[in-house]
Parts: sequence; structure tokens; C-alpha cells
Amino acid sequence: MSFLQPWLLAALPLAALPIVIHLIHQRRFRTVRWAAMMFLLAAARMSRGYARLRQWLILLFRALAVATLVFAISRPLASGWIGSAIGDAADTTLVLIDLSPSMSQREDGSSLSKLETARKQLAELLGRTRSTKWVVIDGARGVPREIANPGELAEGPLLDGTSRPSDFPTLLQAARDYIATNRAGRTEIWICSDTRANDWDADSPRWATLRSAFGEFTQSIRFHLVAYPRVDSGNLAIRVGNVRRRATSDGAELTLSIHVAREPGQAGNDGPRTIPVRMEIDGAPSVLPIDLVADRADWLDYRVPLPSDRKTGWGVVRLPEDSNPADNEFFFVYDEPAPRAMLVVAEDIDAVRHAELAASISPDRSIACAVERVERERVAGVAWETVSLVLWQGVLPSPSESERIDAFLARGGRIVFLPPRGSDAATFRGMRWGSWHESPPGTLVESWRTDQDLLANTSDGAALPVGSLRIARYRDLAGTPSPLATLRGGAPLLARAPTESGGVYFLATTPSPADSSLAADGVVLYIALHRALAAGAESLGNARQRDAGFTLSSDSEPWTRLAGSRPVLSTDYPLHAGVYQTGDASTAVNRPLGEDLAGVLPEPRVAELFRGLDFTRVDDRAGSGRSLIQEIWRLFLTSMVVAMVVEAALCMPKGRRGEGGST
Amino acid sequence: MLPDRRFRSFLDPNVLSRLAGIPLFARRPMLGTVSGRHASPHRGASVEFAEYRKYVPGDDPRRIDWRAYGRSDRYYVKEFEADTNLRCCLIVDTSGSMDFGSSGSRGVTKLDYARQIAGSLGYLAVQQGDAVGLACVAENIVRNLPPRRNPGHLRLVFDMLEKAEPQGGTRLVEALHELAETIRQRALVVVLSDLFVEPDAVRGCLEHLRFRKHDVAVFHLLDPLELAFTFHRPTRFVDMEGGASLFAEPSEIADRYQRALRAYLDGMRAVMLETAVDYHRVSIDEDYEPLLGRFLIGRARGRGGR
Repeated sequence: MSFLQPWLLAALPLAALPIVIHLIHQRRFRTVRWAAMMFLLAAARMSRGYARLRQWLILLFRALAVATLVFAISRPLASGWIGSAIGDAADTTLVLIDLSPSMSQREDGSSLSKLETARKQLAELLGRTRSTKWVVIDGARGVPREIANPGELAEGPLLDGTSRPSDFPTLLQAARDYIATNRAGRTEIWICSDTRANDWDADSPRWATLRSAFGEFTQSIRFHLVAYPRVDSGNLAIRVGNVRRRATSDGAELTLSIHVAREPGQAGNDGPRTIPVRMEIDGAPSVLPIDLVADRADWLDYRVPLPSDRKTGWGVVRLPEDSNPADNEFFFVYDEPAPRAMLVVAEDIDAVRHAELAASISPDRSIACAVERVERERVAGVAWETVSLVLWQGVLPSPSESERIDAFLARGGRIVFLPPRGSDAATFRGMRWGSWHESPPGTLVESWRTDQDLLANTSDGAALPVGSLRIARYRDLAGTPSPLATLRGGAPLLARAPTESGGVYFLATTPSPADSSLAADGVVLYIALHRALAAGAESLGNARQRDAGFTLSSDSEPWTRLAGSRPVLSTDYPLHAGVYQTGDASTAVNRPLGEDLAGVLPEPRVAELFRGLDFTRVDDRAGSGRSLIQEIWRLFLTSMVVAMVVEAALCMPKGRRGEGGST
Repeated sequence: MLPDRRFRSFLDPNVLSRLAGIPLFARRPMLGTVSGRHASPHRGASVEFAEYRKYVPGDDPRRIDWRAYGRSDRYYVKEFEADTNLRCCLIVDTSGSMDFGSSGSRGVTKLDYARQIAGSLGYLAVQQGDAVGLACVAENIVRNLPPRRNPGHLRLVFDMLEKAEPQGGTRLVEALHELAETIRQRALVVVLSDLFVEPDAVRGCLEHLRFRKHDVAVFHLLDPLELAFTFHRPTRFVDMEGGASLFAEPSEIADRYQRALRAYLDGMRAVMLETAVDYHRVSIDEDYEPLLGRFLIGRARGRGGR
């Protein structure tokens, strides 16, 4: 139990006052000459058990009455562990609050979302605490921001929900840095989150570093997690992918894939049903009924006719209202597809010839494809702004070359490295080529990623014939790549380098007939190359799909909001879903895919992340009207009254029959 | 009538004058030495006819009823009731406990109250020609005056009452046994005491007095504080008869005190009823005049046969 005015507990020894008065009273006896001693002696001989017990009970209840009065005026809190954080004043109170879309979920018909409830609860809770400094780090911006008082937590647009997931390891790192930089004293860190796996990244090695870093502080640092882990099994999320505009014989059409899925990890209890999806393209509304089977629906390559003169535009799909409005809409933009240009830098022409041929053949007559081969010495003069994909066969880039390639990758380009013939000690993004290996005849690919990236299944679900490839020679890869295809024996055939933006691939062999059957069985090579080209070309077009949370460059043109669910600050455009325009380019911003896929971290798993730290947790519910802390002085006051009534009842003399009078 | 003109604090002339109109009767026949207003077990020469009896040789021939002889041709002697005087023995407890008097009784001790009753009864008895004696008892019979009917003896009784000092323990039972033996003739025995002895112990001595054909009246004197026990502070109670003292928290012990007191009073009342004693429990904060009035009237109503 904790108290808002704990110093008043110093008066608790007053509870002994009745006992002290009793003892003083005992000492202040008087002497009486008494005649009727025979009755006194008889009374003394009688059983004194109850009388003595009653006497002790009277003293006990008197002491209890005083003690409960002292407790009552000390303003006790019925808050469990939370109260323990309130009793003492903190030097700094840090609030880490999750603004991810999943925090917009409502429960049981409440009008308040998890985020709104958390802000309200925290404002009320922290309003009763004492702290020298209040600092907020929200999950969208990740920057410590001082506030004047906890009441600001419930006000203002800065803590409204966003479309950007939180990254709690980063937030905690920011908290740690703040504490270290500002030399904060005793610190309370309050975390509000629905503990989604994608927000917490529980498998990240950063947690161990964080635990160690916080453990090194000599001052008291306590973590309090106010969690909202309940999920609504009826919540649906919608997403659009593969948006393309292409010319047809009738003019043009827009193809897009619509995916609707139920809350992850929750089993639906209803059968197939039809969801009316409202679609709006360039202001023209329509309703698209989608059948939901087994908790999900996927409508691939849905075609919408477009006027032939409509080159660019935007649209949005919306689900009917459910418990989480943040995942009920998805924005998209379209444009004429950009030309797919591949830049080839190779020391062995035979190794790349077949790839050049594959890249030059367009899969769609409306898409122009081009291949340009340059000498390595002329790389600096390449017009990088027109390149979609770089095929690099040879020694890994030098530092000066790496700078240009980094800028290219940051813009959204893709690069595929093929192994050089000779030795190579250079590294790129932590990856380095190893030695060449001769494979046994008929070496096949053992496994490959069919769910994403270059070797994913086709839109109709068919797998690429990767298993039929034969690899004669391959080269080892050193580093920590994410394998997309693995040879028998565990060596990676195609791997993705661990980068933030992605787009860096290493192929352990070449399409040369001496090395592999990639050219002979050209389907895999062709599809993989064009997927990489298409991904790289996306950054070249004027229509871009981006996940919320990207950083605006300082020299970019001003953004104009074309569509969005609610008004937001212009500085926060990258954080909120919507359609934005800058210059001739338009950008659709949406929540990342991980936000729809992630379930809730189990409680022990969260506790494990704070192992060794002073960590406590309480689970709350969205729309909960119950305060996290409650003053219970009334209970103590009632207890005092009860104690006084019982004491009075015990003190009440027994009824006496009338005695005396002559007969 | 009284030759003693000295002021007696325990006597109120106004009370005495008002009570003088009510005679003091015995509830049983008395054996007096002179003629009086009390019934005697013997035939005498009063005006109240008793019975006819056959003449036997030796009877005074003058007492033969010649009218009866004329009617029945037989000799009958006419007999009348005899009236005699009363011997009133006042027994006053002068043990230490009789010195108790609380503020509730206006400072009057139980002994003071006993003096008032004993003095008044003595005066009334002598005034109607009866004999009065006084015994002061404590651990034994401190002083004893046998009953006499002359006014000079009454002065001795008053002096003795006046000089009685409460002290020592109570051996009332033994003293009453002793007095039952020493009072030679039938008498009205009036006991004035707080009776702080066990009821069963009192029973024996009262039966002894009854066996000796005494008419026994008991005034059980109690202080109102002894009945109510209204103490509030811790108190050390010192025994007025020299016993051990006792420290007690009144609020803690009061209920048990009351239980013991009630059991004692109930027991004492039962003993008095069983021994046919004229029992009066008295709280000494009440006026003694109405008490004596009730006592005298009650005895007149219950005046005994021969």
C-alpha cells in the first residue's frame, strides 16, 4: 500500500495513545475504605477471562480507530504495485508511449481506444505523483520531449495515434541516453503499450545490451508497464499490394491485390461471410464484396478500368467499422510504370550475358526495359537516377564506389552481386566472398523462400522451379545474410544482406553454363531479375508506396495532403496514413505489413526482456473507467467508525436490575 | 415523660411525636412481668373474655359464674385474656463495616442510621411501658444492657448508642447465638446490621432465636454506593474490618460485583422468609421515619395470637 501523504504516517505511534492513557489511568488510582469487601472478593474469584478479553478488545479497537484515522488522512492508494511508485518523489519521470495503429483498438463498445485510455489513465495517475521533470518519448518520433505536467499527456495532437509501429528497443535506448546525458537521479520509466511483437522486437540482441546499460546506472530506475494486451478476434485489417497501371486495347486499367485478414493469433468463430469493401479511386466510390473464408480473403489482380488519359491517381480501400479503425483503410497511388533499366558492371562477360538478355525482355509491352553495361572505371559517370537494378559481377565495391551505391540503395534501387572469378577480400554491408566450390554433379537447391522476395511464389500461388536448378560451382558467403535459397549442405545460393532498406542480394553462382543451369532453366533467372527490376523501378516512378515512419529529407519540396482519415500536423505527414503529393510525385503512406501480422507478446516473454531490472506490470483495458489508482481513505474512515462503534458496544455496561429499597 | 433532657443527635423529637401514635406490637405472645398491651400466653384479668372452664377445687369461689350455674346446674369459672408488657432487645452491629457512608447517603453511616432506628424504637417501647435492652456486637458482644422498662434505663440505652464505636470484624452470627441463649424470656429481637456474612450462616442463628420463641425483626442496612457500585477510576479498596485490600478496575469488575451482590441479596431474602423474620432491607439514603412507620404498621396488622 502506498500513500499520497506518507509523512503523515509519522503520526502512527499515536495509535498507542489509548494504551498509554490506560496505563496512566491505572497509575492514577484512588484508595477507598470499603465495607462490602465480600462482594469484591467474590467478583475477583469469578472467571475473568471474558472481562480481561473485553478490556483488551476495547484497547485494541481504540488503537485501531486512531490508526485508521492516521491512515485515512495519509490518503492511501489501492493500486497494488503502482502505488509503490507514487509514494516517493522521482527526479525524472519518463513516459514511453506506443502510438502504433494497433493502439487504436477499442474494446467492448467503448468509445475510447487503448491509446486514448492509456493517455487518460497516465495523466491521472502521474498527476498524483511527484517528479522534478516529466519527459515523453512517443513511439512514432522516438525523441525525448519535456512536458510541463502530466496533464499534457491527455491533450494535444502530438500523442495521437499514428500509422508507424513503435520500436521499443530504440525508445528505451533513447530513454537510457536521456538519463545518461541529463544525469537524472531517481527515475521512473512508464511504458504504455499493447505489447505487439513487432513493436517490441523481442528477439533483437539489443535487449541484452539495454539490460546491461540500465543495470549500470547507480541511481534507482524503475520500469512500469501499463499493458493493453487484449485483442479483438473480430477485428479485420485490409491491405493493398501490387498496384499497377497498364495500357490495354481499350485504354488502361489498374490492377491491384486486396488482402483482408483477421486479427493474428485469434481464431474466428463465425463461418464464411461477405465483407463489403468500399473502394475509392480518384474520388469515384464503389463497393466491392469480398468473401471472407477461414478468416482471410485475397483478391489478386483485381482490375479497375481507367480512362486512357488518366496516367496517375490515387485510391483508398476501406473496411466496415470494427474495433480498430486504424487498420480499416489502405491508401495507394498509381502511375505509368517507370522504365526498367539494369546497369551491368562485370569483369567476366560470360557470367552476365544471359542475365542481360533476360533483363532486356519486357514482361509487359507497356514497360520499357533497357540494359547498359559499363566498365568499372566508368561507374562514376553513370546516370544513377535512371537505374533500377545494378548487376555487379566482380570484386566488391571499393569505398568510393560504395558511397554511390549506398545513395542508389537509399533511393530505392536494387543491386545483385555475382561472385568474381578471382580472390576478393573486400566487404560490402558486412558480406564478403569466400572460396569457390565445385559441387557434385546434379547438386540441387534444397530450400528457398516462397513467401517473399525474389523467389516467392507467383500471384496464382505456383512455386518457381527453383528446385530443378543445377549448380556446378558456387562461392561461399561470409557474414550474416538472410538466405533466400539454400543448397544441399546448407550453403546459401541466393541471400539478402542485412540492411535497413533491403535491396542488396548476393548470388553465390553465375548464370554461366559452366557454373549453373540458371540460363538453361531461365524461368527462375528471368522472374527474379524482373522482380528486382520492378522493385527498383518503383523508386523511379512518380507514384510510391511507403511505410509510415520514413524520414523526410530537409531539401524536399513541401508536401500536400491529398487524402487521409483525419487532420494531422504537416510535420507528421510521414507518420500518418494518407496520400501526399510533392512536386509531380505522389506518395501513399500506410502502416507496415508487420503491424497486421504481429500478435501479442506473452506476459512471461515481456517480463523476460526486463530480467534483472526493477520491472512491474499491470494490465488495463481500453475504455476502462477504473482508475489505475484509487484513493481508499473512505474505507479507512469507515473502518475507524466501525472500530469506534465496536469499542462503544464493548464499553456499554450490561443492564443492571434495580437493587436496594426497603421491603 | 423522659427524665433525660440531653440532646441526642440520633433522635428527632418531631419524628418521635409523629410515630408515637402507632403502637409497637409483637407478632407473637410475650411473657412480661407486668400488665401491658401485648398478648400473653396466660389467662389474666383483662376485660377481654377468653373461655369458660369447669370449676375445680382450689379455684377462687368468687370467680364462679352463677348465671351459668343457673342455666346448666354446673359450676363454671369465667376466664379472661391476660395482657403483658414487651421485652424489646435491640442488637446493633458495631463492626468496622458499619462505619461506611457514602456521599449518596449524605455522609450518614450505617451505624448512624442504626442509632436512629434503635433510639426511636427504644423510645417508643418505653413510652408504651415496654422494656428495652441493647446489645452492641462486633467481633463479640461489646456491651449488653438487659431489657428494663423504667425511663432511667432508656437513658443508659441512649448513652450506650451514643458511645458505640464501629471497629473490628464481624462475628454477628456467634453473637446472635449467644444472645439467643442469654435472653431469658420471649422478646422482640431487633437486629440492625449490614449482615456482611453468608446467608446460610445467618440462617442458624435466626432459627435459634425463633426456637427460643423470640419475635425477630432484621433491618438490613446497605449504603446506596454498595448497591450501585458506581466507581469509574481504578480504585484500591481497603477493607474496613481489617482484611486485605483489593485493587480493581471498576469497569472491569462491576458486572461481576453486581452478580455476587444479587446472589447474596436473593439468598438473604430466602433465608429471612424461611425463618419467618420480619425483614427490612434498607438503603440508608432513605428517610428512616417512613421506614419505621411501615415497620410499626406492619406489626400492628400482623399482631400474633396467643
